[in-house]
Amino acid sequence: MRAVLLKVGATVLTFATTAMAAVYVTSHLKNSAAPLRPTVLSATGGATFSAAGGSLTVGPSVQPSDVQPVTSTYAS
Amino acid sequence: MRRNTAVESHHFAALGTNCSLFAADRSRADMLEGEFWVRRLGARLTRFSADSELSQLNAAAGGWFGIGEDLEAVLRASLNAFEMSAGLVNIAVLPSMVAIGYTRPLSEGATVATLDTARPLRALPDVLSVRRGAARVASGSALDLGGIAKGWMADRLCEVLGPNALANVGGDLGAVGAGPEGNGWPVAVAGATLMLRGQGAATSSVRRRRWGAVHHLIDPRTGLPVRTGLAEVSVVAAGGFQAEVVAKTALLIGPELAPAYCAAHALAWWLGAADDG
Repeated sequence: MRAVLLKVGATVLTFATTAMAAVYVTSHLKNSAAPLRPTVLSATGGATFSAAGGSLTVGPSVQPSDVQPVTSTYAS
Repeated sequence: MRRNTAVESHHFAALGTNCSLFAADRSRADMLEGEFWVRRLGARLTRFSADSELSQLNAAAGGWFGIGEDLEAVLRASLNAFEMSAGLVNIAVLPSMVAIGYTRPLSEGATVATLDTARPLRALPDVLSVRRGAARVASGSALDLGGIAKGWMADRLCEVLGPNALANVGGDLGAVGAGPEGNGWPVAVAGATLMLRGQGAATSSVRRRRWGAVHHLIDPRTGLPVRTGLAEVSVVAAGGFQAEVVAKTALLIGPELAPAYCAAHALAWWLGAADDG
C-alpha cells in the first residue's frame, strides 16, 4: 500500500512539473520578429561620388548635409 | 529634435598655420585659454626652436631624457601611429626633412636640399623608447612630430573646450558633442559638408609645403618625398589623430591600395589624384 502511494505521488509530481514547465515556456516564447538591439548598420558601405577633382566616399556613420560649414579640413 | 545652441568661436594663427575653436556654452575666456594651451604646447613640441622640449630630446639622442606628460603622450601616440600604419607614419623623419632643405619654418624659405644624404628610416620602435617621464632617441636619429601633433592636439583641445566643441588645428579637426543644432558639427571635406559628431578629420597633401620638385611628405621606405598617384587625401575617422594617421598612410600607399585601406579605417574619405597621375 505504501509503495503504491509513493508511485502515485511520483507520477503526479512528474506530470505536474511537466505541465508547469510547458506553461512557463509557452508564456516566454522568443519573438523572432524582434529587432536587433543595437541595430546593425548596413554593410553596403558608403556612397561614392566625384568631388573636387577626386572621389569622395561617405560611410553610413557620417551624415552629409547642405548647411554652411563652420570650418574645413585642409592641408597646411 | 533640433535645437540651437550659442556657439563661441575663436580664430588665431599658431604652429605655423591657422587654428579655429568652436564651443557651445563657453565663454570668450575659455576660448582664449584654448589658444594659450595650443601656444604653450606648440612651443614645447616644435623642432624649429633649440629650446623646445622636443629639440632637447633630439639633442640628447643616445641617452634617456626627462620629458613632460604631454610629450610623453604624443610620443606614445606616435608609436601607435607607426603600428597603425604598418610603419608608414614614422616621426623619426627629421634627418630626411633636413636633407630636403626643410630646416626652418617655410615662412623663412627652404634651404639647400641634399637629397643624396637621405636614407630609409629605421623602424620607430628601434629608435624611440618611452617610459614614464622619460624618452630615449637612438643616436643618429631625430624626431619631427609634424601632423601627428596637430591631430593629437585637436583631440585634446576638444577635452579642454568641453562636451560640445570643435577644434581645427591647421586642418586637423576634432569634434565632440551634438554641435550647434544637435545634429553634429558641419565641416567641409572636399567641397562637401559632413556633420561630425564624436569624430575627427584630417588632410594630407603633397601640394602644400613644397618648393620646386620637393615637398615635405616623406616616404619612410626611401627617406625621400613620396611620389604616388595621389596628391591629397582627406579622411574622417574616430578622432583627429586617427584621421591624420589614416590620411597620411593612404597617400603613402597610393591610389591602388588607398580605397581598401580607407574603407577599413575611415568613416569617410576623399582621394585626390596627382596632377600628373
